[in-house]
Amino acid sequence: MFDSISRSASLALVGGVGAALTLGLSACGSSGGSVSGSSGTGAPAGVLTPVNESLTGGARGGTLTVLNHQDFEHLDPGQAYSSVDYEAVYATQRPLYSYEPNTFAAPIPDLASAPPEISSDHKTVTVHIRSGVHFSPPVNREVTSADVAYAIERGANANVANPYFATYFASLQGAQQALKTGNGGAIPGIVTPDPHTIVFHLEEPKGQILASALVLPLSAPVPAEFARKYDAHKPTEYGNYLVATGPYMFKSNGEGKVLGIGYEPGKSATLVRNPNWRAATDHRPAYLNQVDIRIGADPNVIGRQVLEGSHLVQNDTPAQAIVQLAYEQHRSQLEISPGAGTNYIAVNNHKGPFANVNTRKAFWAALNRVAMNKARGGELVTNVMTHFIYPEIPGFEQAGGLKGPRVDYNEHPQGDAQIAEKYMRLAGYPSGKYTGGATLQVVGATGSPEAPDAEIVNQTLKNLGFKTKFSLVDKSVMYSKFCGTPAEEIDVCPNVGWAADFGDPQGVLDVTFNGKHIEPTGNNNWGQVNDPTINRKMEAAELLVGSQARAAAWAAIDRELVAQAAAIPFAFDKEPNIEAHDVAGVGDVWNIGSWDYSYTSLK
Amino acid sequence: MTGYVVRRVLWGVLLLILVSALTFVLFRILPTADPARLRAGPNAGPRVIAEIRANLGLNKPLLTQFWLYMKGLFLHFDLGYSYYSGASVKSLVFDRLPATLSLTIGSAIIWMAIGLPIGILSALRRRSRTDRGAMGAALLFISAPEYWLGLIVLYLFAADIGQIKVFPGAGSYTGLTADPQKWVTSLILPWLVLAAGFAAVYARLMRGSLIETMGEDYIRTARAKGLPERRVVLHHGVRAAITPILTIFALDVGVLLGGAVLIETVFDIPGIGRLNYAAITHADFPIIQGTVLLAALFIVVANILVDIAYAYLDPRVRYS
Amino acid sequence: MSVGAAELLPGAGGRVDLPDLAGAGALATRSMTPLQLFWRRFRRDRVALVSLGFIVLIIVVAIAAPLVVSLLGLPGPSVQNPNLTNAFGSPLGPSAAHPFGVDPLGQDVASRVIYGTRVSLIVGIVGTAVATVLGTIVGLLAGYYRGWTDTLLSRMVDVVLAIPVLLLGLGLGAACEVRGCLGGHVQSGLGVIIFLIALVNWTYIARIVRGLVLSLREQEFVAAARSQGASDARIMGREILPNLLAPIVVYASLLIPQNILLEAALSYLGVGVRPPTASWGQMLAAATPIFNTAWWYMAFPGIALLLTVLAFNLLGDGLQDALNPRIAR
Repeated sequence: MFDSISRSASLALVGGVGAALTLGLSACGSSGGSVSGSSGTGAPAGVLTPVNESLTGGARGGTLTVLNHQDFEHLDPGQAYSSVDYEAVYATQRPLYSYEPNTFAAPIPDLASAPPEISSDHKTVTVHIRSGVHFSPPVNREVTSADVAYAIERGANANVANPYFATYFASLQGAQQALKTGNGGAIPGIVTPDPHTIVFHLEEPKGQILASALVLPLSAPVPAEFARKYDAHKPTEYGNYLVATGPYMFKSNGEGKVLGIGYEPGKSATLVRNPNWRAATDHRPAYLNQVDIRIGADPNVIGRQVLEGSHLVQNDTPAQAIVQLAYEQHRSQLEISPGAGTNYIAVNNHKGPFANVNTRKAFWAALNRVAMNKARGGELVTNVMTHFIYPEIPGFEQAGGLKGPRVDYNEHPQGDAQIAEKYMRLAGYPSGKYTGGATLQVVGATGSPEAPDAEIVNQTLKNLGFKTKFSLVDKSVMYSKFCGTPAEEIDVCPNVGWAADFGDPQGVLDVTFNGKHIEPTGNNNWGQVNDPTINRKMEAAELLVGSQARAAAWAAIDRELVAQAAAIPFAFDKEPNIEAHDVAGVGDVWNIGSWDYSYTSLK
Repeated sequence: MTGYVVRRVLWGVLLLILVSALTFVLFRILPTADPARLRAGPNAGPRVIAEIRANLGLNKPLLTQFWLYMKGLFLHFDLGYSYYSGASVKSLVFDRLPATLSLTIGSAIIWMAIGLPIGILSALRRRSRTDRGAMGAALLFISAPEYWLGLIVLYLFAADIGQIKVFPGAGSYTGLTADPQKWVTSLILPWLVLAAGFAAVYARLMRGSLIETMGEDYIRTARAKGLPERRVVLHHGVRAAITPILTIFALDVGVLLGGAVLIETVFDIPGIGRLNYAAITHADFPIIQGTVLLAALFIVVANILVDIAYAYLDPRVRYS
Repeated sequence: MSVGAAELLPGAGGRVDLPDLAGAGALATRSMTPLQLFWRRFRRDRVALVSLGFIVLIIVVAIAAPLVVSLLGLPGPSVQNPNLTNAFGSPLGPSAAHPFGVDPLGQDVASRVIYGTRVSLIVGIVGTAVATVLGTIVGLLAGYYRGWTDTLLSRMVDVVLAIPVLLLGLGLGAACEVRGCLGGHVQSGLGVIIFLIALVNWTYIARIVRGLVLSLREQEFVAAARSQGASDARIMGREILPNLLAPIVVYASLLIPQNILLEAALSYLGVGVRPPTASWGQMLAAATPIFNTAWWYMAFPGIALLLTVLAFNLLGDGLQDALNPRIAR
């Protein structure tokens, strides 16, 4: 059951709770002034925040123009897995459950008609599906439970290759077999006794996790008779021929083709109203008539156009200079969304100098986290990261809040050379600096702010006495080829980060720090953290029910991770978003504050 | 004459195939990334990656892949599909071609219109202050990196962020058909910056070439015949001096048509250069192959045209 | 873009005029060796002398960079100082302590500009040297043996010239980034750049040397040596090569500024030396997102680049004038 969210998480939103971290800002000669009132994780005065935006009362009609630098990666709900993808997918697809824009902890029924029913042994989850929800043209018919079943089953299809199926849905009966064969066939654990009921039978008592995962796009219905032929392609072509259930749909031709019509890769996309959507069945108001998305321009150019233009928003991360410009001159057009995830440094726990816990602690102590955050834009868009569960996620306060666990290597956000030396000595280097012969392989990402952050990391390592081979590659290459492949044994990956799939601390810590999730490719446990005690605690915590209990258990695991210095944290992200003066934007706090097309309206 | 042309064209085709092969081998032996992994996404397991690699045909031996590519190219004019986005390479390239054409042709007209007259003037007023000044300025523009000049020019004159807001800044490029006026104004700064370096080179080339020509005997003859100096210079001198310049001009335009990635980056123009740059970052072989082939095609065509022109003008060349 | 090197392309037929070291038209009142004549003509060119002096200065600065930096009272080039950026991470502009301002990591720009001379000079001089050696060997063989060797090499040159340089550089740079390539012999950073410069520039030298050799091999002293039974290698090495040295040096000197610009362009596009090593092109790349506010970060490395390349260009011009006074400029 969805218990009421931990109140502490929501309290953290209204700035000022918990020890506000006063960061030492140099007053001498700083142009541009400081950021006022940014204590705690809340937004400074005058700036918008998703939790305060009104969800009702917008003006109907009009076309919103969206300027994005970043292109979509996947529009197929079975494949979409990035914040930019989610912007379009959640406006066009209706998963079983979804969030309202201002919360990340309490999902409400979307395609479902009621909260999920979890059996007492936590091995069965029953969901009732609303009637009166129809697919967009050309399918047009009403959505049934079979469509949801097909949507989830195709996640195991190798042609679709859903990135989180194995993490959240593998406990279904028959799911492991389905993953092995990979042909997208029926999964015995998913049963549809009638067109408006779907029942999930699990091998293990993980009903809570599966129920939580139903907010992800994989549970958005897909019509089998339409999609099957596209899913037979390697890889699936369904993303080029989408059918929608949400208030909007990608513009398409009579056969439902989207590619080249409603989406031109690298150039533009167009969302129009879904004629078969009924407002009465949905929590979304859907004020806009159309959304025109233009892709690929320079972020500095986009920023200026949005801040000075009309009926424009930017829906990916603005350039740093633009954020400063917006804060100084267009404050009411700037939104800062807390809980946008974390940024940390993955160090190789498996092999090399950082396999030693004390070297890791020394690195943690030596790093100037304030400098790292300044390179990202300073206090306006970051808080110093002191442990691994981030604000807005239940368990944040229990794990230490903003100050984090009170261990000496965590106490000095600007870095403390003496504490670093102490731990280097404990690691077996009596001089306080590294004296071994190994050269560290450091692989960072190009672009700003990744490259400056990586440079700071590189310099910190040198100050500790290490020799480094410093490389910068494109971010996608960094993840897919180097840092995400354990066999490469990269020593330091300075530019990794994580945002949870849904408002549960397991989503923050499990995939990234559980030894059993070290994958040969596409690995997200970049540091190859494999501590048996921590692994066991995670296994146990996974099965807990009730968000209070879960928050407490995972917070304890977080403290363990800090005690082991499993990775080196530096930034709790707060994501900036900008809009033109005549747009009443509503941001989704559960999607790094991105503007929600179904709630945004024009003034 | 036809024999010469045929020979040249055949060599041109062979050259394109060789360039294609070279690029093919180079980018596959020294891949900038793993396209199968990039397409699979950051969370993909090894099985999915292997599937995608097979789908993209990357498992086949190099020769087979090349043969398939050449077959598609010559039989169907099919340049393949992007590994990263799935869009057809031909459509991506033709999308970007107008911007590159606009940039190149506009610049070419400007640099010839500025460089040649300056060169002629300098040659005629050799060692004068005009000459020294012009050649000094020319050397200055040759020595400055064009992307830096671009940044300076934007800093001074861009309408959105410049000190004196005159011309549209970076990122304002619009197609000719969409908005002709904006098309021109958005290209003025890039044209000037790109043309600056070339104008300087061509001024120097013209000056050198004209000086050499003016020293020839037939010029003295023409003067002795009593022709007005102006006619001597323009009719006889410049016409002869300009021939080697045209060779180089054809080559330069050919190279630029392959994409001026630096200017495109600074001014945010959606041209072929940037397309290629992104493709290289993502090891998107089909796009890399397609754009390199296109660039080589322009250069080869330029070379052939120049060779034919020379052969037409100088019969001795045909029989070499 | 190798804009100026277009001037090096020989005319139709491929023959390159021999340098007029004996100086027809020179006022030789007493006999001087060609070298002395060359030096005398060079000495009279004030502009070329000044640029030579400037280049010597740059070389000295590059070698003694740590000394220069400490004499000027500047911090080291990779001393990061977050206090020199404002609350949003924007760097501070020029001040008494930092005459050229700082970059977004708080590193002193003047210091980095000074250290940047090292990369530019190493790349320019070493890269060109490697290309010159390669090109000379190839050109020598092609011009001497003619026939199919010549045709083959000419065709190879055609192929190399048809591939876009910058894009080739991008590809190589990205491929060799983390682990190097060609069995680790070519490492990222300077290694790749020098490799690329050699790869791209040898064709220019090869064409010129080939043209020169074509002329030279018809001369009497070659026929004389051959009649004495000298081997091909001996003729190439002892008779022909010495006559090539002066023009090779001159044409190579024209390549140096092109290569400095090429390295800067590649760094601008993200290929090349990595931080904390300072490179002017890489500084310009980092300055581009913030150039309208942090103008100093864009201006000073660019000016340094401009002045260095200009000096080499002027020197090259001067050398060429001294070598070929007939093409009186």
